Amino acid sequence: MKKVAIGGGQGFWGDSPDAAIHMIRRADIQYIACDYLAELTLSIMAKQQIKDPSKGFAPDFITRLLKEAGKEAWQKKIRICTNAGGMNISGCVSAIREWAAAEEMKGYKVGYVTGDSIKEKIPQLLKEGWTFPNFDYDGDFNSIVDKIYNVNAYIGHEAIEQCLEDGADVVVTGRAADSALFLAPLAHEFGWLDNDWDNLARGIMAGHLLECGGQGAGGNFMYDWRSVPHMEDLGFPIAELTEDTFEITKAPDCGGLISEQSVKEQFLYEVLDPANYLTPDVNVDISQATLTQVGPDRVRVGNIKGKAKPKDLKLCVGYHKGWKTVSMLSFAWPDAFEKAQYCADIIMKKMKKRGMKADDVHISYIGVNSLHLGVADTSEKAMKDLNECVMRIAVFSEDKSECAKIIPEISPLQLNGPPGASFFGGRAHVQEVMALWPTYVPRDVLDIQAHIQEV
Amino acid sequence: MAEIYLNEIAHGRSGDKGDTSNVCVFARKPEYYAIIAREVTPETVHRHFGDMVKGEIVRYDLPSLGGFNFVMKHALGGGATMSLRLDSLGKSMGSAFMRMKIHVEDGEI
Repeated sequence: MKKVAIGGGQGFWGDSPDAAIHMIRRADIQYIACDYLAELTLSIMAKQQIKDPSKGFAPDFITRLLKEAGKEAWQKKIRICTNAGGMNISGCVSAIREWAAAEEMKGYKVGYVTGDSIKEKIPQLLKEGWTFPNFDYDGDFNSIVDKIYNVNAYIGHEAIEQCLEDGADVVVTGRAADSALFLAPLAHEFGWLDNDWDNLARGIMAGHLLECGGQGAGGNFMYDWRSVPHMEDLGFPIAELTEDTFEITKAPDCGGLISEQSVKEQFLYEVLDPANYLTPDVNVDISQATLTQVGPDRVRVGNIKGKAKPKDLKLCVGYHKGWKTVSMLSFAWPDAFEKAQYCADIIMKKMKKRGMKADDVHISYIGVNSLHLGVADTSEKAMKDLNECVMRIAVFSEDKSECAKIIPEISPLQLNGPPGASFFGGRAHVQEVMALWPTYVPRDVLDIQAHIQEV
Repeated sequence: MAEIYLNEIAHGRSGDKGDTSNVCVFARKPEYYAIIAREVTPETVHRHFGDMVKGEIVRYDLPSLGGFNFVMKHALGGGATMSLRLDSLGKSMGSAFMRMKIHVEDGEI
């Protein structure tokens, strides 16, 4: 029976390429898919591209991954799908071609998919009466129109599959849905039709379990993180599918863990309603799914169902929201927490005198409550004999100059405040705050195209 | 009857979608599923988080996986870069969730 194996090579832009390289060298796989795009990554890339038009994609896909193991992947006929193209797909394709030419890989085929970025279509859509309602909050889209960095639709697997049909060795996309990068090779290999919902759902869940890299193989593992072997060589997960079966495993000779619990924790990661997990390709129902350990580092996934895909596509709009400044000062025993609180109070009194108009201020104490906030234990008993504590004040304003007012007020507290204050993390600087406007768009607005170039 | 941390009988992971946080909660042993079903409801979770979670909380039950998915709206101070929190992506919402105190009957665990 035909078996297809695909590996997850990357969990986000900035992730380690080590597991993907190991997989190419040691695992019996036919495909790797590498996800580089988190919710705000495209906005960051768009901002980079404004400053320098040659930027706007994930260059480390080429400089770290392909350079190290891309030629070996090609020789072994392991094909790669990635959304590393980000906001600059042509820039990414050029960089891949340059690398392949330098490696003398004649005949290497680079597929790419265009059409997910639709910022230039916004004025026309607004004119036609489309309102871009926000999923999360009320608000008028017109209020952000002038501040938009990027508008990208989450697109499905079809055009990626087309590139593979056309013989691509690597396929580059922009905002393809993470899981579509994995579904495309599976649909291509098994010949799944675009309305074979149960099979498309299986392919999406293979992608879902792999798209976060190490998190699907024992990374970020709450159940028993101490039991995960060799996290310094953490392997990333591999999905093996036949027409009837679907199993998760990992490469030989690497760290990590594939167990019922490790797969479970990733299974519902960033899922909302498990009976209606919406993707551009299919509406997935995992509400009756099963996970069974069938061997060492091998878990079988069962009972995944699919329903017709949603008629609209999710659209992610990144825009300029305002500015923020984060300032920190550290304190030590005795009374570390009390001194840090006292210091924050002094700073806020000073800011009041300076007339700082912040739209939002968030004060927390690293070592006490900066992660768990109100759920943290700040009782007298827990705070007694606390070794260290870092005061953290974050200020947000739409006006950059308001955010800058707090910066010179922090370091003087080393001499002018409670004892033992130490300037932490260097002088603060004003950072841009970008935000997302999650909305949707009809499919027919997009003009998705598959292309191929040969080296 | 005893009061314990949820962490003792459950494990899970938190994720973010905009300002929405999801925490999946799985029973560490099959027999703990019923305890979690009884003790960890949208109401008790809201009481635990207080104003950290400003929106609605929905629980989805997944008996075939021995777990639950909790979806909490307006839970991340704006979400991603908009949030002023140190943990803007809510990576530690999972452990904050497991810090919830629950009641178990004698002999139940």
